[in-house]
Amino acid sequence: MIQKRTPLYMLLPVLVLMVIFLLVPICKGIVMTLESTSLSGETSFVGFRNFIGLFTEGDRMRMNLSITLKYVVADIVLTIPVAYLVALLVVRKGKMAKFFRSLYLIPWISAPVVSTLMVRSMLDSEIGIIHIMVRHIVGHDVLILNNSTLALLVLILHSFWRSYPFIMLFLSAGMSTIPNEYYEAAHIDGANKRDCFFRITLPLTANQLCIGILMVTIWTIQDSESIFALTKGGPGNSTETLAVRLFKSSFVNFDLNQGAVIGFILVVITLLFMFLYVKVLLRGDLYE
Amino acid sequence: MKDVFFFIIYILIAIFALFPLLWGLKLSLTPKYDYGFWPKSLTLVHYKAIFQRKEVIVYFLNSVKVALGTIVIVVPLSLMAAYALARFCFPGRRTLGMILLLLPMLPMTAILVPLVSYYNKLGLYNTIQGVILVNATFSLPLAVWMLRNFIVNTPKNIEEAALIDGLGPMQTLFRVTLPMIRPGVMTVIIYLFISSWNGYTASYALTTSPDKRVLAQGVLAFLGSWETDWGGLTAMGLLMVFPPILLFLCFQDTFIAGMFGESLK
Repeated sequence: MIQKRTPLYMLLPVLVLMVIFLLVPICKGIVMTLESTSLSGETSFVGFRNFIGLFTEGDRMRMNLSITLKYVVADIVLTIPVAYLVALLVVRKGKMAKFFRSLYLIPWISAPVVSTLMVRSMLDSEIGIIHIMVRHIVGHDVLILNNSTLALLVLILHSFWRSYPFIMLFLSAGMSTIPNEYYEAAHIDGANKRDCFFRITLPLTANQLCIGILMVTIWTIQDSESIFALTKGGPGNSTETLAVRLFKSSFVNFDLNQGAVIGFILVVITLLFMFLYVKVLLRGDLYE
Repeated sequence: MKDVFFFIIYILIAIFALFPLLWGLKLSLTPKYDYGFWPKSLTLVHYKAIFQRKEVIVYFLNSVKVALGTIVIVVPLSLMAAYALARFCFPGRRTLGMILLLLPMLPMTAILVPLVSYYNKLGLYNTIQGVILVNATFSLPLAVWMLRNFIVNTPKNIEEAALIDGLGPMQTLFRVTLPMIRPGVMTVIIYLFISSWNGYTASYALTTSPDKRVLAQGVLAFLGSWETDWGGLTAMGLLMVFPPILLFLCFQDTFIAGMFGESLK
């Protein structure tokens, strides 16, 4: 019954969809970076002029990149340690840990546009709880989303709130595969809790930790939904990351050629992290 | 004593995790101009107002269509591909697996840019079907990869018996293997529902008329136009997060084990 071609037939529908909706658009996207579209819809070949234009039109592009970097680094610095600590907490045995770990995942399940809405209501200058608390502390009204530093801080905290639960469960899954015998043997040898953590738990979850960092990096680099909903990149362009710029250029201003160029840059950056991801997977024998 | 300490920590993290939603719940249930932290009176007026808006019903139905359409396309196709990857030896299998593992990392927003004009040519621009197809294609790699892992972890001998009994590979997959990986299929369905329900980028990029909007896009638009009607906005937001959270809570053990690893069972 099984013929040589059976696996091909079974893979075919998926491959066809991937070619039509992924491969062809990607190729078309690369061509679009080299073209310019006139108002009447005619395209003409312009070489690398779109790229050159993007990097020479003042320092907006440089700002996009530096804001993206800040957003990513701050998110990793917050997410990874917190996720690790909470993972140590929920990996404990018992009903309590299981009950709470489900609750903790809820931020990841809520839509970005909704959590953004809640954050904006918390920052509202009349009723927002955060706004009111800040007013009590500093003694006067601070319009948080009108201040570039504070707006970026809000974005970072919001992103952290959304992304740490997934990493926490991912890490706790890694921790729970460590055989109990390791800890028992360590105890017999007189190791204390600190030794157990630094000599067993941490080294044996190092690969998961690397993958966790890569996952957060890729999510934050590509996140446009929550930033667009929260600040639209403002005030000014002070919270405009590369991904939001891509979203705004393409789907708000309909400059699809510029969008293709920014998208291309975003894909190249992503490929770099994909490469690292493959290295970690192959090193840790996590890819069987 | 130690248990009490841990319990307090658990509760504090839970408050942090749920605070924005609880705050939204409070706003959605209190009348306008009730500014206190503890509401003086409760009202359902914001929710009633939402159900009277026709466009909300349209957005809601569009979201249901997109989520269900994605699930209906992705689940059978990814099952077949996953079965081929898990059970057959063919040249390029390892490479294909690796590609499927990496594809979900590509930035969806970037791929939507060329799709806009391409969709015009295909006649899919500004249609729900177009949004479904994009959502389905972008979620296929991860679904295939997850199901492949589930199939690899089931015993092969029952399938072999079925094949000897004369069942074809498709029949074996759907009659023998599928019942064994039910938790995996459930996990994939929940994941697909959450991811297609929550996003607005694809429909924002590929549709123009308001009657094609999905709920997430609707909420984004309301966020711009209802300004400081926080009662209405938070009620709208909570109605939107309710279905995925309910689905997750109903199947939490299956989903967590399926998503992150059986060791969390």
